[in-house]
Amino acid sequence: MHYGEVHAVNGIDLRVATGQIFGFLGENGSGKTTTVRMLTTLLKPTAGAAEVGGFDVVSEADAVRQSIGVALQDAGLDPFQTGRELLRLSAQLYNVRGELIEDRISHLLDVINLSGDADRCVGEYSGGMQRRIDLAAALVHGPAIVFLDEPTTGLDPLSRQRLWEYIRRLNLVDGVTFFLTTQYLEEADQLCDEIAILDAGRIVLQDTPQALKDTVSDDVISFEVTAGDRQNAIDRVNALPLVESARGDGVSKVSVYTKSGTDAFPMIVRLLDDIAVSFDHLTLSHATLDDVFLEATGHRMDDTGQAVETDGSR
Amino acid sequence: MAIATHTAPAYGLVHTGRLQVIGHSRRLAGRTVRSWFRQPWIEVTNVFIPHFFLAVGIAGFGFLADRGFGVSNYLGFLVPMAVLQIVAGPSSASGFAIVSDLQRGYFDKLLLTPASRWSIIFGRVAADGLRAVLYSSIVVAVALTFGSGVVAGVGGVLVLLLMAGLFGVAYSGVGIFIALRTASAEAAQASFMLFYPLLFMAPAYVPREIFSDWLRWIATVNPVTYMMEGMREIVLGDFAASAAVEDVGGSAAAIAEAAGNGWDPERVILAFVAIVGFGALTLSASAFALKRRAG
Repeated sequence: MHYGEVHAVNGIDLRVATGQIFGFLGENGSGKTTTVRMLTTLLKPTAGAAEVGGFDVVSEADAVRQSIGVALQDAGLDPFQTGRELLRLSAQLYNVRGELIEDRISHLLDVINLSGDADRCVGEYSGGMQRRIDLAAALVHGPAIVFLDEPTTGLDPLSRQRLWEYIRRLNLVDGVTFFLTTQYLEEADQLCDEIAILDAGRIVLQDTPQALKDTVSDDVISFEVTAGDRQNAIDRVNALPLVESARGDGVSKVSVYTKSGTDAFPMIVRLLDDIAVSFDHLTLSHATLDDVFLEATGHRMDDTGQAVETDGSR
Repeated sequence: MAIATHTAPAYGLVHTGRLQVIGHSRRLAGRTVRSWFRQPWIEVTNVFIPHFFLAVGIAGFGFLADRGFGVSNYLGFLVPMAVLQIVAGPSSASGFAIVSDLQRGYFDKLLLTPASRWSIIFGRVAADGLRAVLYSSIVVAVALTFGSGVVAGVGGVLVLLLMAGLFGVAYSGVGIFIALRTASAEAAQASFMLFYPLLFMAPAYVPREIFSDWLRWIATVNPVTYMMEGMREIVLGDFAASAAVEDVGGSAAAIAEAAGNGWDPERVILAFVAIVGFGALTLSASAFALKRRAG
């Protein structure tokens, strides 16, 4: 897919199995939303082919639309409808059987915890409430495949947990396939059966969360340099046995990857003392998807989906 | 790229295989109507402004009408202008509503449903047609209250309201086309301004017979001229004849009879032709713009 000379998405090749929760990770501008818009028939690809639910997204777009539910990155709502009216209209446009509509709406309002506000106009809702009603609208017709573009952005932690539980339940009980993009790596780790990491319009890694984490070292030792030459510290730590890589992360942080954190930990402390580098917030933890993302793309991603530049080397 | 290889039945929630364009259009029209009730101040303004122009027109030119061009019932003369104005304003606002949907992302939501693309336009223009009939009824009721009369009677009023409804559908297409092509709120708002040249280069305040040559030529090719004259035919009949009867002190019944005798169905047919032609143009343009935007 390209816009003029700019290739927003280039050469993506992936297969999502029925019944999977598939996560699409990438910072803002990496091509996630463009991919979702193509798969949901909102954009026609300029080259290549894609199928959703066995239907071609270009030649069988109507069949694709009937099969999927979509909650886009920005909750697209009509502020002059009540929450209940909005869900009812969605159900009617998706051809939900008339006799089932009200029960379905009540069920979803209960799930998203908006039963008490269902008859208020959506324009009066808070951002989090709008996000939840948008999600309910995506699910109102019981789709077999659901696309969620950053579904929990703007939700409070409790609402986020409830939504995760509901996604898991739909996936386990009803076999609904989910394709979700997220900037929350923890969300992808908790929910997804498989993850693809997207960078500059290309998939750079794709596997299960555990397998991805196994590609980086088992342990991560992190510390913040408060005084002294940070680059020298990174170079010297990199040279230590047991250390697989060390890299600068943000302004003062250093992350060290190792197969054996407990053995490498005292060596690093001694080394930093020897080279007169002061440090703070020294921690030892297991590798996370955040570390995988850093390894794959060369930068971290903050909570808003922006790339955070890093430096250092392996 | 493949996302899930088959689709499970959606818990038996969905019925398929039926033509849904009419049903979906009706649901979307219902949504538009609900939004009017939730912004009543806009609707009050929509109704007030044409009546304001009507009142100002009568106060400003009414005393000249009889002497200048032989129209004693100037209120009746201005009814078509007020009807077209009260229809064009709100109908053009459909474009602004579509731009709002585009900007909020709700338009994408509608495109993501299996509902026909055409139902998005049909739902909108159907609601505008309904509003055009309702608002025109108010104009006619006000005119009747203040003594205008309608020469063609109850049937004529119904024909006039039908014309207004069709014109509402037709003019709605102008705003929708501009909105879909530009996605600009400013451009969509300007769609109503396009109506003023059409209105004032038609015989809105005076008959075209007394226009200067160049303006009469423009009025001849302006479709609004034929809409206005067709509506005027229903309200006044042959207004020259009615004026002549009134000049000699005839009763209201005699005036109506005289006007009724001069009732020219050809002008009404021409008005319908103009409205349908205008609508075919604007709605085709809207359909083209929707196709370009939504595929």
